[in-house]
Amino acid sequence: MSQHLTPPIRRALLLTSLPVYILLYAPLALIAVFSFAPAPGGTAAGLHWYDALLHAPNVLAALRRSLTLALGSSILGTVLGTLMGFGLSRFRSRARSGFAAALPSLIIYTPIIMPSLVFGISELIFFNLMHNATGLFAAGLLTMGIAHVTFQAPYVALVVFARMAGLDPNLFEASHDLYANGRQSFLHLTVPVIRPAIIGGFLLAFTLSIDDFTISYFTAGPGSTTLPIYIYSAVARKGISPDINALATLMIATVIGIGLLQYGFTRQKDRLAVPRTGD
Amino acid sequence: MTEATLPIRNTQGPDGAAPRGAIRLEGISRVFGGGIVAVDQIDLDIRAGEFFTLLGPSGCGKTTLLRMIAGFETPDTGRILISGREMQNVPPHKRAVNTVFQSYALFPHLSVAENIGFGLRMRGVAKAERLARTEQIMALLQIDAFARRNPAQLSGGQRQRVALARALVNEPEVVLLDEPLSALDAKLRAELQVELMRMQKRLGMTFIFVTHDQHEALVMSDRIAVMERGRMLQVGPVLDVYEQPRSVFVAEFLGLSNIWKFTPRPGNVAETALGALAINTRIDTQRTAMIRPEKIWLYPEADAPRDRPNTFPGVVREAIYMGASTQYNVELPGGAIVLALDTNNQAAERSWGPGERVVLELKPGNIMLIDG
Repeated sequence: MSQHLTPPIRRALLLTSLPVYILLYAPLALIAVFSFAPAPGGTAAGLHWYDALLHAPNVLAALRRSLTLALGSSILGTVLGTLMGFGLSRFRSRARSGFAAALPSLIIYTPIIMPSLVFGISELIFFNLMHNATGLFAAGLLTMGIAHVTFQAPYVALVVFARMAGLDPNLFEASHDLYANGRQSFLHLTVPVIRPAIIGGFLLAFTLSIDDFTISYFTAGPGSTTLPIYIYSAVARKGISPDINALATLMIATVIGIGLLQYGFTRQKDRLAVPRTGD
Repeated sequence: MTEATLPIRNTQGPDGAAPRGAIRLEGISRVFGGGIVAVDQIDLDIRAGEFFTLLGPSGCGKTTLLRMIAGFETPDTGRILISGREMQNVPPHKRAVNTVFQSYALFPHLSVAENIGFGLRMRGVAKAERLARTEQIMALLQIDAFARRNPAQLSGGQRQRVALARALVNEPEVVLLDEPLSALDAKLRAELQVELMRMQKRLGMTFIFVTHDQHEALVMSDRIAVMERGRMLQVGPVLDVYEQPRSVFVAEFLGLSNIWKFTPRPGNVAETALGALAINTRIDTQRTAMIRPEKIWLYPEADAPRDRPNTFPGVVREAIYMGASTQYNVELPGGAIVLALDTNNQAAERSWGPGERVVLELKPGNIMLIDG
């Protein structure tokens, strides 16, 4: 496509896209640079603020909570999301047209496009009601976990659903034709062929959880401060300090790392794709 | 290996009468949502060990019929018997039937050998036997060199062989083939047609082949069924269906044909657009005459046969050279166009170009009468 563009247009596009990239990545780079700021009174740039993080019990506790929450909710969210994506793709292949055919996408996308503010408030109200009624569901890591699973599952479902939609529907018939019952077909065909999507979905769920502030904030209770909540309150209290920069830089590095992993799995998905017919 | 059967396999019908691999369809219908009748009251007997082809245009119901035999679709009425066993409540994975899909549907996460061994693995066949049988079938189909490859690394023809091997290795009673050659180029298709036939005769399994390609049907089948709009128009040995089509649709779908409506005249004469045609068979209620292009004799104007019935002078409008034969579209004085096919075995002295005058002879014995 780009080869059809005349040089002036190409230059214009470059000039307009450059600021976009700068706006996207410069703040991130800035935080990373500031995180290496010298210690108070010192002059040498270095890992001082990273070292300070390691000796801040509040930060470490928040990190531990964030990781526990992310891991636990991602596992559950991935299991539920996978089943959801699989089930909805089956439903879609049966529905022929109209509303029924659009329903699975609707079910998946509605929670995804829901503003997290609305999502968080509704979860808060729901947990309050449940707590008053049953005495369970006290605000804390558990309610946060449930809330995280609820918003992670549709994302995982979306990834799995997309993978299923890209598969030859005859594959499943072929497995039954070759004597696999429902359980065997799921274990020996479905799970292996959607495995890249499941892993990709898990990593996505993990990043979403680690990074979530809004929904976590509404569903958190005493003693369930996660990293994003800690950062928010620290910034609110004393403004941006270099240790927050260090923390943010670590989070950026983690997310980029997970992103690369996910990319690797998506590429594996391409290798698995078999052209349907012909040479 | 033809005789080998697995112990879990039901080899005989309950009454012991129906042979292994025979299929009976009784009053099978399938109506889809929106009232589309895909299959309409079909009765059919397919013999054990037969190469049977369902031929028809797309949407005629042939694939739906195949899918009902496989168990992917349930008939709304009627019953299906495979080897004498009623299939009413038998799910696909319990039917001794294997399908070769048009898309091949090879499992992308498994190697060629694992794809082929899948059916045996699902039935719990011991690993040693599984490997032995997989190797045997791969050798038979000459795909042993790719055993460890992924389906994505194979060419279309190789994938087709793997799909076939994956079905055959299970030694099913019936193999269902849903347009398995349609994605291949002409030369490869011709090769695989012969190979499929050879494999079927060698293994003695019943093959039910679905195609819209009349040539493919003619080449491979013992018997064919021509389908249109969910019904079977004609079932029979290839030769019978080709030589004696019972309807205009069958005549036109299978091969080339010249078809004329006629009015009966006394003395077994049919009055057609060409003029009066002498007919060998007794004219009854039929009102359509048909003759295959290859059964029309062509003569140079000079040595046209005198005093023989059904000779017509005409002018060649198009000469379509097809290598082994040439198709001549000949216009008669009345304006009717007649298709005549001539083999190119006599070269120069018996070939004509556009505008040249020829004489056609339609021997009475070669003219078929069709109802309607």
